[in-house]
Amino acid sequence: MADDRKRMFQKDLEVKFTKEHGTNKMEGGDITDMRIPYYRLGVDQNPRKLEMKKVGKDIAEKRGLAGYNPMMHCGGIPLGQRALTPSFISGNDDMMVENDDLHYVNNAAMQQMWDDIRRTCIVGMDMAHETLEKRLSIEVTPETINHYLEVLNHALPGGAVVQEHMVESHPALVDDCYVKIFTGDDELADEIDDQFLIDIDKQFPAEQAEQLKASIGNTTWQAAHIPTIVSRTTDGGQTTRWTAMQIGMSYIAAYGMCAGEAAVADLSYAAKHAGVVNMGDMLPARRARAPNEPGGVTFGNLSDIVQTSRVNPDDPANVTLEVVGAGCMLYDQIWLGSYMSGGVGFTQYSTAAYTNNILDDNLYYDVEYINDKYDGAAEKGIDNKVAPSMDVIKDIATESTLYGLENYEKYPVALEDHFGGSQRATVLSAAAGSAGSLATGNANAGLSAWYLCMYLHKEGHGRLGFFGFDLQDQCGATNTFSYQSDEGLPHELRGPNYPNYAMNVGHQGGYAAIAAGAHAGRGDAYALNPLIKVCFADEMLPFDFSQPRKEFGRGALREFEPAGERSLIIPAK
Amino acid sequence: MTYEAQFYPGATSVAENRRKHMSGKVEKLREISDDDLTIILGHRVPGTDYPSTHPPLAEMGEPECSIREMVEPTDGAKAGDRIRYVQFVDSMYNAPSTPYFRSYNTAINFRGVDPGTLSGRQVVEARERDMEELAKFQLETEMTCPALACLRGASVHGHSLRLQEDGVMFDMLERVRLENGTIIVQKDQVGRPIDKKVDLGKPMSDEEAAKRTTIYRVDNVPYREDKEVLEWVHRVFEQRTMYGYKPAVQE
Repeated sequence: MADDRKRMFQKDLEVKFTKEHGTNKMEGGDITDMRIPYYRLGVDQNPRKLEMKKVGKDIAEKRGLAGYNPMMHCGGIPLGQRALTPSFISGNDDMMVENDDLHYVNNAAMQQMWDDIRRTCIVGMDMAHETLEKRLSIEVTPETINHYLEVLNHALPGGAVVQEHMVESHPALVDDCYVKIFTGDDELADEIDDQFLIDIDKQFPAEQAEQLKASIGNTTWQAAHIPTIVSRTTDGGQTTRWTAMQIGMSYIAAYGMCAGEAAVADLSYAAKHAGVVNMGDMLPARRARAPNEPGGVTFGNLSDIVQTSRVNPDDPANVTLEVVGAGCMLYDQIWLGSYMSGGVGFTQYSTAAYTNNILDDNLYYDVEYINDKYDGAAEKGIDNKVAPSMDVIKDIATESTLYGLENYEKYPVALEDHFGGSQRATVLSAAAGSAGSLATGNANAGLSAWYLCMYLHKEGHGRLGFFGFDLQDQCGATNTFSYQSDEGLPHELRGPNYPNYAMNVGHQGGYAAIAAGAHAGRGDAYALNPLIKVCFADEMLPFDFSQPRKEFGRGALREFEPAGERSLIIPAK
Repeated sequence: MTYEAQFYPGATSVAENRRKHMSGKVEKLREISDDDLTIILGHRVPGTDYPSTHPPLAEMGEPECSIREMVEPTDGAKAGDRIRYVQFVDSMYNAPSTPYFRSYNTAINFRGVDPGTLSGRQVVEARERDMEELAKFQLETEMTCPALACLRGASVHGHSLRLQEDGVMFDMLERVRLENGTIIVQKDQVGRPIDKKVDLGKPMSDEEAAKRTTIYRVDNVPYREDKEVLEWVHRVFEQRTMYGYKPAVQE
């Protein structure tokens, strides 16, 4: 079976490794060649490096202080001695990008994805409505709710209500800030002004809409997004602080309350603590992060933030791969790469999982294998799933891993593309783990497949990744099904701060995909939190969460328009 | 009956080579002089004394300790040598050894060593003369092909890249090069040019490398065909999983 298959990465790698790009000199050759001439052209073969080199020189001259200079290594031997090749964004064959442009500093879409998550919180309305009705005998109706939402859409971006003579945010700097509501109550939804409603029936396939409405019931929730610029300037904790303040003011204004009365405190408490869902939990004090920072975003939450499952529900593998991309960027590139390490290299580890269709090929191979052998178990559905026994996990993970390893052996350019063990370990295990999830509908079974893949990989090639995660990868099987309270969490509830995952560079996108795969495979409307799934089903967000990988490609191609730009208030050039 | 360690399962040549690397019973293929080794390691000038971090143990007047009495210090520890390192990079294209098997060889056959294993390199830290002993062992034996393995203290990139036209593993710093059919070292392991060129001998032929490698490859000894090895990986996986699950405790 493996040898008959058209590899999805073939075309990408043929373009990438056998053709010239800019001033890059590439021999024609074949992607199966084990030897090639190396021209040792350094950075001069790559257009983006050349641009950066020139800018670095200009800056140094202008300010009279040394800056970026790619000839710094070893006294003048440039990095990039092998071919510096661009990459295709997986799943989007027409998007070929420079690898430097997949660093989040160089990519506005990546920044916006994280901005859109960090600046979001979900605030319940029911406690506030009860307070208004029971304590103050104020009648709450769909009309008053619509009025309140109009007030709040003025106040949340920084417009003043109630207070007089207040300074306000310029609306053009905060035009990405807004609030909408959603509910499982069809009657109420019908009465809410369309502009304010995330319409579950409209946004989700009927089957998923039913699941979501049943989960949410007659409760009502505000999906609040504070201004990107505010979130960037402060931290994730500011999201609830900012939201609670403006919500409090808007209740006072919309319902004619006394600004000093005790019920205001109850409303504020409900808006800031009691009825609030953050995207990320607060971390332990030693990590010193507020809520809504990436280390606290569980894999289940990220699976729900990514919206591919609602627009492409019949291809659960695709859902899984989009979560890989989002997770690699958020967890590996931003969280581990910056918050945890302060480094640069993590981007390189992570992009392997969402470029050049290598992981995609492995997972779709697995899907075919599972469907052939287990009677369509990787197709969307509940009744078609295979029971997650040890034998099933061993079979699927082993076949997935062997197929992936053989690709690295048959296609030297695939091995060269994933030139570090961190990359190969992530890609192989993400495929095996996601395949396990898709087949069983059980994320911990997928996780188990992940760890077997690590063992098989290490044993086959006599090497794995690096100091930092080899240990966790080799002890992970032991805590997959553990009942110990801090080791045996269901996978959806684990996150980048889970003890063994806190420094697993390059792995986190794969972990998130395992959670997504289990539920996408079952056709579930959500993985962990229906509120988060609905909150991000909203086209007004600058970042399109239904296709994160394409958005990263648009960012790399400099086609993405981010929010929170400051051109209005800085000197024009 | 004397117990003889078996080290590794599997019936293929790769499995057999893995057993050999772990056992330390490997074939010596070349000679590296002490001075040449010192030059390419780059830690000290050949012929100079080993720098020390403390006086010899015999002069230290150490407190009584039953463990100290049981464990014979290594020569480097006795002399008070500083800790130094050797770092190997082995190509994915049938290099004889791999990072994990270099580590296993070191940990099983040498004392006072601290092996570190990564995907692209394997570093061992030890007292300087102890480190040199194991470095020489690995360089001189079938654990190393001078074209497919290299000492690289820094800028280790290259293990997974395609080979150069001449069959030498790519190195951005060109520490070694093929000259008249032999591998010549022109920079020490960090990449500093050296005064004297060191000859590491002939590269293995493709056939010899394929015969001596410890890496499974689909174009040589396919991993999936070594059923016993896969079975043992599964066994380790299953036992670790069940250890954490502890079904008996739950019952």
